[in-house]
Amino acid sequence: MKGMTSPIFGNLDWTVTPYTDLLQQVNSSTIVSAGAASVLVLGGIAVLVLFTWMGWWGPLYRNWLTSPDAKKIGIMYVTLALIMLARGIIEGFVIRAHQATALGTLARPESGLVSPDHFAQLFSTHGTIMIFFVAMPLLIGLINFVLPQQLGARDMAFPVLNQISLGLTASGAGLVMISLLLGKFGTGGWTMYPPYTGKDFSPGEGVDYWLWAILISGMGSTLTGMNFAVTIFKKRAPGMHFMRMPLFCWTSLCVAIMLIYAMPALTVSSAMLALDRYAGFHFFTNDAGGNMMNYANIFWMFGHPEVYILILPAFGVFSEISSTFSGKRLYGYTSLVIASMSIAVISFTVWLHHFFTMGQSAGVNIAFGIATMIIGVPTGVKIYDWMATMWRGRVRITTPVVYLTGFFLLFVIGGLSGIILANPSIDYQVHNSTFLVAHFHNVIIPGVLYGMLAGIHYWFPKAFGFRLSETWGRRTALLFVGGFIFTFMPLYVLGLMGMPRRSPTFQNPDFMAWMYIAAFGGVLMLCALASLVWTFWTSYRNRLALAVPGGDPWNGSTLEWSTPAPVPEWTFPRIPHVDKRNDWGEKKRAGDPWKGPETYTDIELPANTALGLLITGGSFALGFAMVWHIWWLAVLCCLALPGLVALRGMRLIEPKIIPAAQVEEADRRFRQQVASLAPASRADEETERNRGVPDISEFAG
Amino acid sequence: MTKPNTGHINPQESAASEIKSYATGFVISLILTVGAFAALLSDLPNTWKVVVICTAALLQIVTHMRNFLHLSFSGNQSREDLLLVLFSASLLAIMAGGTWYIMSDLSGRMHQTGESGSSSHRALAAYSNNGKPQQVWLSNVPLSRN
Amino acid sequence: MSENSLYPGLNLGDKHGDAHVQAESTVFGFWVFLMSDLIIFGILFAGYASYLDPIGLAGGPGPKELFDINSVAIQTVLLLVGGVAYAGVSLTVKYGHGRGNLVAWLLVCAAFGAGFLFFEVRDFISQAGKGGTPQVSGWLSSYWTLGGLHGIHVFCGILWIFAMIGQVATRGIDDVVKVRLSMLGVFWHFLDLIWVGIFSFVFLVPLA
Repeated sequence: MKGMTSPIFGNLDWTVTPYTDLLQQVNSSTIVSAGAASVLVLGGIAVLVLFTWMGWWGPLYRNWLTSPDAKKIGIMYVTLALIMLARGIIEGFVIRAHQATALGTLARPESGLVSPDHFAQLFSTHGTIMIFFVAMPLLIGLINFVLPQQLGARDMAFPVLNQISLGLTASGAGLVMISLLLGKFGTGGWTMYPPYTGKDFSPGEGVDYWLWAILISGMGSTLTGMNFAVTIFKKRAPGMHFMRMPLFCWTSLCVAIMLIYAMPALTVSSAMLALDRYAGFHFFTNDAGGNMMNYANIFWMFGHPEVYILILPAFGVFSEISSTFSGKRLYGYTSLVIASMSIAVISFTVWLHHFFTMGQSAGVNIAFGIATMIIGVPTGVKIYDWMATMWRGRVRITTPVVYLTGFFLLFVIGGLSGIILANPSIDYQVHNSTFLVAHFHNVIIPGVLYGMLAGIHYWFPKAFGFRLSETWGRRTALLFVGGFIFTFMPLYVLGLMGMPRRSPTFQNPDFMAWMYIAAFGGVLMLCALASLVWTFWTSYRNRLALAVPGGDPWNGSTLEWSTPAPVPEWTFPRIPHVDKRNDWGEKKRAGDPWKGPETYTDIELPANTALGLLITGGSFALGFAMVWHIWWLAVLCCLALPGLVALRGMRLIEPKIIPAAQVEEADRRFRQQVASLAPASRADEETERNRGVPDISEFAG
Repeated sequence: MTKPNTGHINPQESAASEIKSYATGFVISLILTVGAFAALLSDLPNTWKVVVICTAALLQIVTHMRNFLHLSFSGNQSREDLLLVLFSASLLAIMAGGTWYIMSDLSGRMHQTGESGSSSHRALAAYSNNGKPQQVWLSNVPLSRN
Repeated sequence: MSENSLYPGLNLGDKHGDAHVQAESTVFGFWVFLMSDLIIFGILFAGYASYLDPIGLAGGPGPKELFDINSVAIQTVLLLVGGVAYAGVSLTVKYGHGRGNLVAWLLVCAAFGAGFLFFEVRDFISQAGKGGTPQVSGWLSSYWTLGGLHGIHVFCGILWIFAMIGQVATRGIDDVVKVRLSMLGVFWHFLDLIWVGIFSFVFLVPLA
């Protein structure tokens, strides 16, 4: 590490693993980092052995990794996100555990489970992972799975590009994961503010890991945004006017717009920082005309829309489930559409509130403070709309509704603390304190995490053909709600008491009581994670009892519930014609919704391709080579990546054709099965009588 | 120009009008480019030079979009594409304008205005006098927010 | 232009049937992607403006010492002519004037693009010789990044042109190739558009 850069291995050598540190010094910090690296290595080996033992490599390659099917890509995104979520939650727990033991004394100022540098890596990876590799893949995955089905489209506009986007996100995640074993991650927080993260103050590979993970996955997100936008603009089923689209599609459109226009800012700020670090440029350095304030400015130009990129799909999910699980039409559809679009646009005008204290004059702060308060209005409209949707409905307390209730209670608190922070003079008092940490966890966890988990619970049967266990689902939801309250409410108090964020140690014994409560909350969050895993496992074991072959377990009203569960590769035997908003609900009200099409035609689907996989490997190798200064590999990847695309361009690619007879046979079988299954009323929704065929005399929301 | 371009019309005629459109665009762009360079080399006051250059640039961008990229308000789809451009332009204006607003305000408070920032003014003077870069920003390291 | 225009750039028209329809979503998607690219350039422009002050110059050479207005004028003309030359490609495809003409027009575009790059690189080299490397000041960093990014775009455009020549040679002018040529056209004209911003705001305004 300290020596010369080798022409073959760059800066890599045997001393970069945490085991070297452990050998040099055995303490809780080195044990934790070596333990984490071991979990990564052993986990990798376990997966290799398991897949080889079960002979899963072939099916994995043929059915998943090379598939351009948006539904499968969506499921892979969500899987990636859940794996990263496990690491993120465990890191969050270690952060809490550290701070609960971090009370220093004047004689011994540093204390706690891990060393200050290790602690800084923890909060940096925790933030990076949770935002870029949990929240983003969760929502992109869910949109990938749901959007084409709700629009009545067979697939995304650009299926192969979709695969490449997934590949780029996965290789970014891979870079963050490999930093557990090889070298260190950056210590500048998830925002990596220079000049601290410049070459002068942060030499070494840490910041570079972050930069390349962000640049590569950011490229994937931009392409995804473009793909979503084109799908919504050009691939809607006939008759699906904009104002007939389900609300989830509207929020996906907002996400697409924000991805397209916000991700470039992140790309620019990261690329500038990379130029500073690699080529000695002076964008953000202390000397030679650099201006690190510009980094904050550009980063948050991305950062604030990003917040709404995260939250809007959850708003879409809540719109769907509030209507479905109360058996009512969505209240105020138009107002929700207008509110979503306003949020999408206003979110580009508030970025300065992330750096009120940077030193600009009061006038600038006031302008952005007012814009920030304004964006609270459409959000408030939405909350009222959902409550009005549920008002006097036949609400079933299913897992998604538990999440929704938790969201109502907690998100409003988080939103209000946001309005408090939008006032610059108050922000000056509490900025950079744990009050802020509490605030953004208070919007992101109830918003994104609850929303996405509710969405997973809601659409899981569509993907795999069986429902998730309601009992365990509700337990998980309650644990996440309780875990949140215990972990983050104390941080509000601590922030007001003057506890700075990201602080590896403190000397005020008054903090301790609150720290213990927060650490207990961390334990609850770990339990929630375990319970989530158990929910999937126990539901898988009971999959026969929970099967819903009829495909419509919740008596839904949007198009995706008209198909079997699990949904076939071609989604619709024939592209449906849409006459009304909530078309499937209206068809059920009109009677005999499960009428098959009279004629079937051949279905053309994009052929499987290994391009995405190759791009994943290439971009991961590129990032890894740049991090460790392995220049020959970087050059090789820079040539190989465009080369792969150019080579594919030369070839004629035949689509995969599903013959009409096969579609007809499968579809007829589905129709017969629906006819043979007994319809289940809402009262029976959670029982084994629910086979996915609802009682159509009940109102489908 | 706004005739429906179906297979029925004479392709030669349509090609001629398309070539004419490209040629018009080329000539206008050339005139605007020459105008911008001429303004720079002329004896106009500086403000007017900047005004002429910016106006010429905007007009030339419009010409490129109209004559080369074929965006217009006629035809549903090209209207949609043009609206997309206008939407992008307004978001860009928010971002670029906001950057300018924020950064010039900051720079005004931190370095340049003589009355309000006397100490940093001295730092600037020291900075430009000896010509070597110094660390003038250190006291203003931004505090990190989420 | 015409009522059935489906996407930016010169449309293939109904005669081309499937290709025309396919191009709708593909070229539209590419256009959306370019809008994202536009934001990247826009932020770099704003950054360039914010570094253009005595602090950003940091005692290094400034616009007056480094910029060669004649060379900028030559680059502008080369790129403008190269951009308009793409009309030849679009019209050849649309009216089916054959592979030979198409490749010739593509080569003309590539040649003008290469000419532009030649002068731009020559400028960069002479600026570096005058002590104007990007490592000298914040302003020079942003100038090199903005100009360099545009240059890289032009370079990619040239590579794309050769890739398209390869595709025309191997698979002929089929529907997919037509759609890709439409995308390339939009890209090529877009580079021109960005250059209008660069020569006006990066070169001329600071010199005024």
